[in-house]
Amino acid sequence: MDTAYFIETIIKIVVLLLVFSALAGFGTYFERKVLAFMQRRLGPMHVGPYGLLQIAADGIKLFTKEDIVPQNVVGPIFKIAPVITAATAFMAAAAIPFMPSFTIFGYEVHPIISDINVGILYILGVMAIGLYGPLLGGMASANKWSLISAARAASVFISYEVVSGLSLLAPIMMVGSLSLIDFNNYQTGGVGSWMIWSQPVAFILFLIAAFAETGRTPFHLIANDHEIIDGFGTEYSGMRWGLFFIGEYANMFFISFVIALIFLGGFGDGSVGGALALLGKVSFIFFFFLWTRAAWPDVRPDQLMWLCWKVLMPIAVINIVITGIVIMF
Amino acid sequence: MANEITITIDGKEIETQEGEFILNAARANDIFIPAICYLTRCSPTLACRICLVEADGKQVYACNAKTKSGMNITTTTENIERERRAIMEVYDVNHPLQCGVCDQSGECELQNYTLEMGVDSQNYTIADVDRPSVDWGHIHYDPGLCIVCERCVTACKDMIGDNSLKTVPRGAGAIDGAFKESMPKDAYAMWNKLNKSVIGLTSGEEMLDCTSCGECAAVCPVGALVDTDYIYTSNAWEHKQVPATCGHCSAGCQISYDTKHTSIDNPEEKIYRVSNEWNYVSLCGAGRYGFDYQNSDVTKDETAFGAALDAFKKADTINFTSTITNEEALILQKMKDKFGYRLVNKDAQDFKTFLRDYSVVSRSSIYGSDLEKVHNTDFVVSVGSALKSDNPNARYAFNNAVQMKGAGLYFHPVADPVVDGMSKNVVSINHAPLQEEAVLYLLLDLFGNKDLLPTKIIDYLATFHSMKTVTVTETIKEKVVTQVTKKVVNKETGEEEEVTSDVTKMVPKKVSKEVEVDDNRLLEIVGAPDKFEETLQKLLKKKETFSLIVGPDLYTHPSSQNIARLVALIEKYSAFELVMIPTLTNTLGVGLICDLDDEAGEYAIGYNTQGDYVLSALGDGDLDMPAINQQEGTLTSINKRVNPTNVAVGYGGYVLNDIANALGLKAEYTIDYTEQLPTARGFKTRKFDDLPNHYTNAGEEVRGYLLGKMPVRMKKDEHVVAIDEDQALDGTLVYLANPVRQFTPFTNKAHQLISEGGLYMSESALSGSELQVGDEVSVKTEAGEVSVKVISDNKIDGEIAYLPTFDANINSEALFGGYRFTTASIEKV
Amino acid sequence: MSFEKFKDRNVGEDGYYMVDIEDYPETGWGKFKQVASRSLKGELFVGLWVVLREMFKFDIHTVQYPKEKLPIGPRYRAVHKMLRLFESGTERCIGCGLCEKICISDCIRMDTKYDENSRKEVTEYSINLGRCIFCGYCAEVCPELAIVHGGRYENASEQRAHFVEFEDMLTPIDALKAGQQEEYPGFGAIIPGSDKSVKKTPLAY
Repeated sequence: MDTAYFIETIIKIVVLLLVFSALAGFGTYFERKVLAFMQRRLGPMHVGPYGLLQIAADGIKLFTKEDIVPQNVVGPIFKIAPVITAATAFMAAAAIPFMPSFTIFGYEVHPIISDINVGILYILGVMAIGLYGPLLGGMASANKWSLISAARAASVFISYEVVSGLSLLAPIMMVGSLSLIDFNNYQTGGVGSWMIWSQPVAFILFLIAAFAETGRTPFHLIANDHEIIDGFGTEYSGMRWGLFFIGEYANMFFISFVIALIFLGGFGDGSVGGALALLGKVSFIFFFFLWTRAAWPDVRPDQLMWLCWKVLMPIAVINIVITGIVIMF
Repeated sequence: MANEITITIDGKEIETQEGEFILNAARANDIFIPAICYLTRCSPTLACRICLVEADGKQVYACNAKTKSGMNITTTTENIERERRAIMEVYDVNHPLQCGVCDQSGECELQNYTLEMGVDSQNYTIADVDRPSVDWGHIHYDPGLCIVCERCVTACKDMIGDNSLKTVPRGAGAIDGAFKESMPKDAYAMWNKLNKSVIGLTSGEEMLDCTSCGECAAVCPVGALVDTDYIYTSNAWEHKQVPATCGHCSAGCQISYDTKHTSIDNPEEKIYRVSNEWNYVSLCGAGRYGFDYQNSDVTKDETAFGAALDAFKKADTINFTSTITNEEALILQKMKDKFGYRLVNKDAQDFKTFLRDYSVVSRSSIYGSDLEKVHNTDFVVSVGSALKSDNPNARYAFNNAVQMKGAGLYFHPVADPVVDGMSKNVVSINHAPLQEEAVLYLLLDLFGNKDLLPTKIIDYLATFHSMKTVTVTETIKEKVVTQVTKKVVNKETGEEEEVTSDVTKMVPKKVSKEVEVDDNRLLEIVGAPDKFEETLQKLLKKKETFSLIVGPDLYTHPSSQNIARLVALIEKYSAFELVMIPTLTNTLGVGLICDLDDEAGEYAIGYNTQGDYVLSALGDGDLDMPAINQQEGTLTSINKRVNPTNVAVGYGGYVLNDIANALGLKAEYTIDYTEQLPTARGFKTRKFDDLPNHYTNAGEEVRGYLLGKMPVRMKKDEHVVAIDEDQALDGTLVYLANPVRQFTPFTNKAHQLISEGGLYMSESALSGSELQVGDEVSVKTEAGEVSVKVISDNKIDGEIAYLPTFDANINSEALFGGYRFTTASIEKV
Repeated sequence: MSFEKFKDRNVGEDGYYMVDIEDYPETGWGKFKQVASRSLKGELFVGLWVVLREMFKFDIHTVQYPKEKLPIGPRYRAVHKMLRLFESGTERCIGCGLCEKICISDCIRMDTKYDENSRKEVTEYSINLGRCIFCGYCAEVCPELAIVHGGRYENASEQRAHFVEFEDMLTPIDALKAGQQEEYPGFGAIIPGSDKSVKKTPLAY
């Protein structure tokens, strides 16, 4: 391995970590603001102009808050759980091309940490490991709310991985590759060539599965405040809780990138316009996450299971069969 | 005595005494008749006229109409209601609407009756005159609020005997003549009187100079008369009323300590005033104003307590005074039983001895009467007591009896202007000290039943009588017959003739004649005024019930044994009922409970008195004790009643019971001893918490319990000895007594009474000597010497000065060899 | 709603309708149909539309509390005020103690004395606002309209002593002179027209 590649990768990792950690913060700001506006409120207003420095205030608070490890928790596991959540979220980002490649000082930069040929498989796999964060954290907390939350997390993640995996099979069959670069290149022919048109069912299924796996409303039952307090996060404080938080928001961003890359044409032909278009698409999907939270109620856990196994999974299978038949002929 | 009769009030049949006032009969039977000016026990004033009732079809005033058998009384008729409403309207005319700040604060009878009579509009009017409020010293008078019910005047005259208040002209204009026609009759008459007067001082001076009892302010139905110390400090409804018994003298008056938090910053209870059931009990100035004598800011000082225990282990004697409760006395007695302490208490010892000597003759463990009975007798005699300062309630009883158509004799060496000023029906005789026996012999001679008295005594009394010839100048009317010759014209003849006829005329003529009269030398010995016997005859007219009050002078008298026997003989062989004034608050109780010793031992504990180790409720001893207003317990009063008293203000230190417990006695609280008080001495086994402390509507005293009479197991002996006529104290005399409103160092601790003691001299004695008020003098007797200031006291008269006991800085008792009078030399230093 | 209707509100039929609630589907197919109909009917999108519309309308109702305050009604019962007489500027309180008496949480206390003008003077007055329940009885019972309720409802403090500052309640003399004291229309104020119910006392002079 040459040194330049090594340095480049290190730089890319650092940039990615910093940018998305910060984005998690901005994400909360936007979430609060968007939700507030939709509910005819103002949202944060006091820290900085229009409450802009709220993120800094929250950051200071999270970093300086006492790190409480309650008496009856399983210490090491309790401590490692938030790290797993955050780490898996960022690990998944390794296979995502955030931008088209560009040249700087004569050096060609690929804004992807590693274009592995099993990109999608890798992303799905790593995100699946993310299950361990809530699961271990919830089980180690010695708290009944956390335990219920852990159980729910396990069931939801395992169930919806099936849906997300099956729904992506059809697009993969069409592209014939697991690399996200290939996916992007498959859809360079303008809006008409986007996967969403040829695979609308897969798009909707994957979108629903994305909501479930990031634990967002209407599937927010893993940490449903009004019934199980903060679920697995109940006993956490300070920056440990903050890691869960960063993980959740980083996940939202990454899944937005994935959806945009697979179904909405990615960065297209790699031009600047394409890059901006990708950011626009990602932003919209992120906004959609917030939008649904303002508009929709949560579903019950049993409804969620019912929806997964009796509705979404059969549809996904049927979609694969139909796609296969169409490709065959 | 009066007969039981039945009368009907508003259809309700009630039993009462014949001749009782209708109002009292109704009140005793819970029938409401409005009345403002009437005071129970005093004579009807007839100022308010609101107690109108209809008796057998005739309108009468319930407060002065007497009941007759079968009387039918209606308390309201249409006319009476009209009168009452008009009366209340008149009272409200020009009455300031300052109820918000008035000190009566809702305890106002004007307010109550105005609402009761439903006065919602005013029909009468008159121009008001300027009536500025005045400060009379300890009393503050606001004539603007005054409704001139004259209750203060009545109380001061009929109960207290000071006669310090009277009605004076108001200077108001005449009432509009039109009202005479339009108004109900009684209301107009009442208004007419009301409009002419306000209350003023009899003396005409600016400041009230009386015995300062404050009873006038207590009886005031509105906020016109208020204690100056209390004015505007609190509202009546804020007070917690602690029913108690006054701890200053042996009268044992029922009082209520009215307490409240001290201030916003200080939540501790503080006594703001003392209130009383003024219809049934009258307080003196010490009882009313001497309430804050508590031993305050005391904490449990464990070292002092340990030292006290050591002292008790070391001691063989306990000196104490009688200003303690029965329970404490019992604790001391129990400590004596257990550890053999000698209990030394001079005044209780003297009183106890006197009672025992009395019992030998009377066959009764205790005197037969009480002050309640004295109130209702019509001839009262007081011997051996400076009545107004020894026991003010005895003085009120004396005065009340005299005022209610009675009469009285007051025997005391020290002339008392207050007694003299009560009534012309009181004769006070200022005999020489040590001649109390002669007084008692005189009483025996004058009132004793000669048929029953032992012959020896009759014979002895006869030795004082002799016949003497006096020249009496009499005015007789002589018949004078004169012959008058007139010229008369003869009708028949028409001629003038001289006719002589006899004319008889009655002409007054002064005649001197020699008369043989009985001469009673006893009168001379006691120094009775001229013509005493004639005066006495007048005083004794229509008198049926007799009371004798004897006082502390006799207990310490050198021949007290003989005196006690004479007193018993008087009670036995005459119509007199007897009351003795116990010297201090609980002298009677201590005397009954404790077995007292004469001589102190080597190491003495002093309780409120001197000793090698001093327990003191005055706060000046080695270990603090609670004062009586900080204690639960009982006090035995002159009325032979065991009265409960309660805690008015908190106390944080140790009590006698703690010491007793530490030494091996066992009782959780001091009042656990209440039921253990000796039944053999007349006490009852009743728990403290079961003792009541109130008066009923009929005026019946429901307080504690009465001491039982115990059989006397001594040999009967009615022997008395003759008077030693030569017994006399020569030279300048000094008496041991206190000024009014002072009894003990406890009264002197109260912020309204605090004063410096001295040698109290009458104004006449002062002007006759070279001494000036404020001069430092040295009073020297055989027993000792003190140096004091001269104080002028216009409440005594004559040459005898007195030294007080209330000032702890003057050890005046040391000057006296027991008897309350002594010869002394007074020299200016 | 009239009083009669208010009392009989469970009896009448008018103005009420039954909410159309379907029975819960019991078969799997029924449930699928329900999901399908709910998903495809567009109810979800209606929700999305409504919140989006509100966002763009930007009709914000937030009151930024410490900086902005809503006006409160004149009869609101917040921290007490002690008023002064308009003419003389002296305190209206005469020290009658009725507020102290009526206070059901026993939080009013006053010390009074006889002053040199022969009047009752209130030397100290305190309301323990930490204990006060703002029932308004004191204002209602006050015969002089001296103690009234004000509009200052922010009475959090870090020290209990701050709950009893009399000076904070009394109208400052300069504020009175500036005409800033207003008569209180709330609890205990004179009822309009009450003059008519007062009978006149004949005053001939």
